[in-house]
Amino acid sequence: MNLLSLLIFLPLFGAALVLFLPASQTKYFKWITLGFCAVELLAAAVVYHYFDLSNPSFQFVEQTDWITLSLGSLGAVSIDYLLGIDGISLPLVLLTGVVMLVGAVSSWQITSRQRAYFSLYLLLTASIMGCFLALDFFLFFLFFEFMLLPMYFLIGLWGGPRREYAAIKFFLYTLLGSVLILVVMIALYLSAFDPYSSLNAQTIVHTFDLRYLADGHNYLPNSLLNGLSAHQIMGLDARLFLFLVLFAGFAIKLPVVPFHTWLPDAHVEAPTPVSVVLAGVLLKIGGYGFIRIAYNIFPDAAAEYATLLGILGMVSIVYGGFNALAQSDLKKMIAYSSVSHMGFVLLGVASLTPEGLNGAVYQMVSHGVLSAMLFVVTGVLYDRTQNRQIEAYRGLAKPMPAYTTLTAICFFASLGLPGFSGFVGELFTLMGGFQSEFMPKWIATASTLGIVLAAAYFLWTLQRMFFGPLWTQKGVESLLADLTPREKIMLLPLAALTLVLGLFPHFIFDITSATITEFLKKFSLN
Amino acid sequence: MLPIVLLSVFGIVVLFLGFSKSKNILLPATLLFLLVTLIANFVDWNHQYLYFNDMLWGNNASMVFSGIVLLSAFFVVALTRGFEQEGEAAQPAEYYGIMLFSLVGAIMMISYENLIILFVGVEILSVSIYILTGSDKRNLRSNEAALKYFLMGAFATGIMLFGMALMYGATGSFVISDISEIIGTRAWNEQSQLLYAGLLMLLVGLLFKVSAAPFHFWTPDVYDGAPTIFTAYMSTIVKTAGFAALYRLLAGSLASLQDYWFATLATITVLTLLAGNVTAVYQTSFKRMLAYSSISHAGYLLIALTSLTAKSQSSILFYSLAYSLSTVSAFGVLILVSQQQASNNYDAFNGLAKKNPFLAFVLAVSMLSLAGIPLTAGFMGKLFVFTDAAQKGTIWLLVVAILASAIGIYYYFRVLIAAYFKEGDLATIRIAPFYKVVLIIVTTLTIVLGLFPDLVLQLV
Repeated sequence: MNLLSLLIFLPLFGAALVLFLPASQTKYFKWITLGFCAVELLAAAVVYHYFDLSNPSFQFVEQTDWITLSLGSLGAVSIDYLLGIDGISLPLVLLTGVVMLVGAVSSWQITSRQRAYFSLYLLLTASIMGCFLALDFFLFFLFFEFMLLPMYFLIGLWGGPRREYAAIKFFLYTLLGSVLILVVMIALYLSAFDPYSSLNAQTIVHTFDLRYLADGHNYLPNSLLNGLSAHQIMGLDARLFLFLVLFAGFAIKLPVVPFHTWLPDAHVEAPTPVSVVLAGVLLKIGGYGFIRIAYNIFPDAAAEYATLLGILGMVSIVYGGFNALAQSDLKKMIAYSSVSHMGFVLLGVASLTPEGLNGAVYQMVSHGVLSAMLFVVTGVLYDRTQNRQIEAYRGLAKPMPAYTTLTAICFFASLGLPGFSGFVGELFTLMGGFQSEFMPKWIATASTLGIVLAAAYFLWTLQRMFFGPLWTQKGVESLLADLTPREKIMLLPLAALTLVLGLFPHFIFDITSATITEFLKKFSLN
Repeated sequence: MLPIVLLSVFGIVVLFLGFSKSKNILLPATLLFLLVTLIANFVDWNHQYLYFNDMLWGNNASMVFSGIVLLSAFFVVALTRGFEQEGEAAQPAEYYGIMLFSLVGAIMMISYENLIILFVGVEILSVSIYILTGSDKRNLRSNEAALKYFLMGAFATGIMLFGMALMYGATGSFVISDISEIIGTRAWNEQSQLLYAGLLMLLVGLLFKVSAAPFHFWTPDVYDGAPTIFTAYMSTIVKTAGFAALYRLLAGSLASLQDYWFATLATITVLTLLAGNVTAVYQTSFKRMLAYSSISHAGYLLIALTSLTAKSQSSILFYSLAYSLSTVSAFGVLILVSQQQASNNYDAFNGLAKKNPFLAFVLAVSMLSLAGIPLTAGFMGKLFVFTDAAQKGTIWLLVVAILASAIGIYYYFRVLIAAYFKEGDLATIRIAPFYKVVLIIVTTLTIVLGLFPDLVLQLV
């Protein structure tokens, strides 16, 4: 079996194992999950090892016919099981490996319905991996939408008091996003065809292959999405219109303001490991979707709307930052900081410069590591006292010195202190914004406000919760034990990782740059 | 042809079997008969046939449609458990006999060539369903439902018959292919006005049967009032047969007039989608929700019909199959749960997953399929239907349908929330082995067809 298939089927196998082991083995479920996640990370590392950094195109490509439908006089449609990896997906695959492993360790505290929990968790891992590896739009969509299910149950079954509301809100919002993507997918496949199979089969073979969809020559003359035909939808050029629809679909996932309102609810109610996965990996699929699908297929529309998208990115950065400043719940504060930080991703992507795009992918990896850490930190406190209110604590540094140190590290890394990964991501995306020929400079200028805001809310929180004399609202001082070894195992590697990435950012840039240079050629033609 | 003869004979045999003392033989006998008919249904495979002076017609597609109807009937009959728990008042032999007879009607609706056969088929099917709806004789709601269905149904058939008469007046023929030919010789503005009036009335009659808005008002009451097992029966079989009949009518004889009927049917489609989905949100009873959901699924099927592309037939076929499978399993779980709880409400499902993980899983797959979540047959069905609309170029219809399906998630998930997230005191429900096997088969088929839809689609 090919390595990439292994990445998808390994967790599935694990899920089946957990599902069918007898109930007497319940105590091993978490170990099995941990083991599979570890092997998964190892497999991702092996992919990295054999990955050719200088090759900008897809590697490890694996293609099998899956569904072939004859459409009578209209030709045929072929859907393939098509996987591949390039410089944009590889960093995210590695990130998924890391975050899912941390999430598995963080899942140790799950005590109820373990069989269901761990099989859903592994199912989620498989579908996330599938999303990053699929090169067939249909396959991508299947993984993208199927991912909602384990997520829905993970929030709804193991979440906080308002979990039902949060779970269904999460589901409905993201489902709305995916149906928007579905509309575009249908329109795309009706317009595009597979040049090679069509030649062999003497008929038009419609395709979902992203490699063909990305090439303007593969669109039927006068079809809805052919660049030369002048179809209009609601007064807009069809290509521009459908780009916006696709963009909205992924914007819900990223999330971009004003499509972000599901995120704080989902985070607040989700259990710690699910928050870790949600912020650490799931949001990145939105950003990945922009690059891999929306921008790849509609480069003309992306250039046309660069300013609009840049402004949305800026609004997310600033609005998210202000909201984070206003929160009293630590987890909600971090959720809004995620909105703000993912805004940088959108800004970088929209800039259409090498700095911006490399920075955006880097920022996704960096935020994945940092947000995983932030949510683990929140979970540590919540596990001890069942209270996440910022104003309920003062002077935590005294009873919990190790915890305070690690929290300070991840707060400083998140607010963009040089030397940590957050700084590099923000710097490069902003550089992209300043250099972009597609959008005015004031957008990037205004976005820098986000860094100031980040410093404000992180430092203010640090000061309020950790410094000063020890005090807690409900007199729970006795519960405030320092980090356990398990918590250290989660936090220390993540802290090391953000430092390493911050000091040696070329680890990521070496992977991404070749692919992104090639990718940007689409835009220089315009 | 063979299945019609077989079903009629088997129906009579089952009635006579009812005289025997041992009631236990009825269920296996009926199942065996259905199985034999199902196999006999495919003897003409790869042959196009015409019977009785062009009364009946058939090809692979109509055989697959009949196959779906027979298969659904097989599953539903398997879920009846011999009507043991219905008590003394139940008359299993009659029920099984009527079910077999009703299938004769369904198959005639699927493979008619002459409009008279369509009428006869609709009547056979409807009259059987009227009786089955009212079969719970001591239950007032069941009586009310039967009477309501009968009165409105009789009215609808009357209108349909009137429509046929008008079409005959306009074209001088009842035969589908002749009508098509005669229409083909004139331009659309030269057609007789009688034809248009007749077409509309014929459509009204058939759309009533498939419960499309605004002819859907009977659906919730009838679905709710009828014994659950017969609700499952009618929601699968009438829907499939009705849409096969509609497709045959529109594609076989009126395709050239698509510009004319498109606006009407598209309006009805949108109304059906909205009426079904929006009203379903407000239900507190799971059974009533399924009634509205059946209206909304009629809406999705209408999209394929309205678009009428080369692919529409296979879309309708696949969608009916997916819908029938999920509906059978949804009702299958409902029957067990409502027996335990004496209620059809969402609350009855509270805590189902705790002691009955199998039933909860079956229910989940069925709801996900009805909602159109990937890796289930329902998703593929929706995808095919939506591509039909896109192919026809009616993006606005597509947008309405997609919004409607997003609303659908909300009410389909309510029962999953009850089953998985809520606390409840539902005890372990004992499931008969055979019942369990049927649920397993239906659920597996739903998932397998979600992964490999071409298994069915390559048949037609």
